[in-house]
Amino acid sequence: MKSLHLFFRAIALLLFVLGVASPQGVDANARVIFDPLNTVTVPMGQSIPVTFTFHIKPGFHVNSHQPTEPELIPTELKFSPPEDLVIAKMRYPAGVLTSFPFDPNTKLSVYSGDIAVKAVVMTAPKATVGNYTVHGELKYQACDNNSCYPPKRLPVQFDVKIGSGVRKGPTARPNAQSPHIHN
Amino acid sequence: MKRSVLFVFFVVVAITALLFSGKFLSHPRNGSASANVSPQHELGPARGTAAPDFALQLLQGKGKSIQLSSLKGKAVIVNFWATYCDPCKVEMPWLAELQKKYGPQGLQILGIVMDDPGEKTIVDFTNKMGVNYPVLVGTDKVADLYGGIEGLPTTFFLDREGKVVDRVLGLEDESLIEASIKKSLGTGDSSSSASAK
Repeated sequence: MKSLHLFFRAIALLLFVLGVASPQGVDANARVIFDPLNTVTVPMGQSIPVTFTFHIKPGFHVNSHQPTEPELIPTELKFSPPEDLVIAKMRYPAGVLTSFPFDPNTKLSVYSGDIAVKAVVMTAPKATVGNYTVHGELKYQACDNNSCYPPKRLPVQFDVKIGSGVRKGPTARPNAQSPHIHN
Repeated sequence: MKRSVLFVFFVVVAITALLFSGKFLSHPRNGSASANVSPQHELGPARGTAAPDFALQLLQGKGKSIQLSSLKGKAVIVNFWATYCDPCKVEMPWLAELQKKYGPQGLQILGIVMDDPGEKTIVDFTNKMGVNYPVLVGTDKVADLYGGIEGLPTTFFLDREGKVVDRVLGLEDESLIEASIKKSLGTGDSSSSASAK
C-alpha cells in the first residue's frame, strides 16, 4: 500500500516536471524574454517604484516606444491591475537611433539587448491588505538584419503584497488577481 | 519493501523515457500542418515542386480575386510583406522597377500583404512605395501553405509552369532578385542560386 502511494506521488512529480519543462509552454518564436520580478511589497497608501526588465535575444531589435515612422509598431507594456492597485508613471527608455544593413541611409529608433521599463505601483484608495497578482503584456514587433517578424504579445505578471501601512485595510483578500489577458 | 521501491523506480524511469521521447523528439510545426514533415516542407514548397495554388482577394478589388494557377505561362514572384516591415519597404521599389523591366517578357509579381492596418493604410503605403503590381490580401491558410511565413519579406520565384525555382527569406540584394527573376523567366543561369536560405 505504501509503495503504491509512493508510486502515485512519483508519477505526479514526474508529470509536473515534464509540464514545467515542456517546450510547448515556451513560445519558440519569442524574441523577447521577461525577467521575472520578486514580489513587490507596497505599504497601504504608498507607492513603490518598479523596474520591468526584458531581454531581447541577440541579433534582434524591436521598435522603441516611439518609432520614427508611423507604420512601425511601438513597444508597449500594459497592465490590467486588480482594483486595489494602480500602476502609473510608466517610463520607457529612449530608443537608440540605429541604421541597419537593409537600409543604411535610414535610422530607426529601436531597442536591443536589455530594456528596462519603469513604473510606480501604488495602492488604490479603497485597497485592502492582501496578496495580488498583476497580469499584463508587452507588445512588440521584432526584426533582425534582413527580416521582420509578426507582432507578439509577451505575457507579463508579478505579485504584489499590500501591507498594512498608513491606514489599515478592512479585511485581507488573498490571491485576488487581475483579469487574465488571452492572446 | 526494497523490491517494491525498486519496482516503482523502474516504472518511473520507463514512463519518463516514454514521455520524453514523445515530447522532445517530435518536431511540431507552426500552423495547422501535420507532424512528420521534413524541415524543407517547414519552409514552404521546395525548389522544383509546384507552388501551392491559392485564390486571394485583390486589394481594392471590390471582391475580385486572383488565382495563382490562372497565371500559368507567366513567371510569377509571390512576395509576402507587411506595412511594419522595413526590409520590405526597401525591396518594393525594386520589385516595381523589375515588374516594369521584365513584365513584357512575361513576369508577374504578386504582393501578398500579411498585416491588416486597414485598406486605406495599405493602399497609401503601396502608393508611396510606387507598387505597380497586384497586391493581394493574405490569409493564414495561404501562409500555412507556404511554410507559415514567420519572417518577412518572404519571396517565392515560380517558373512558367508554376514550379518553385527559388525561395528567399528576408531582404536580399536587387541583383540577386533579378537573377532569380531571370531563372523564373527561363533566361537566366538555372545552376546559380540566388542566396537560397
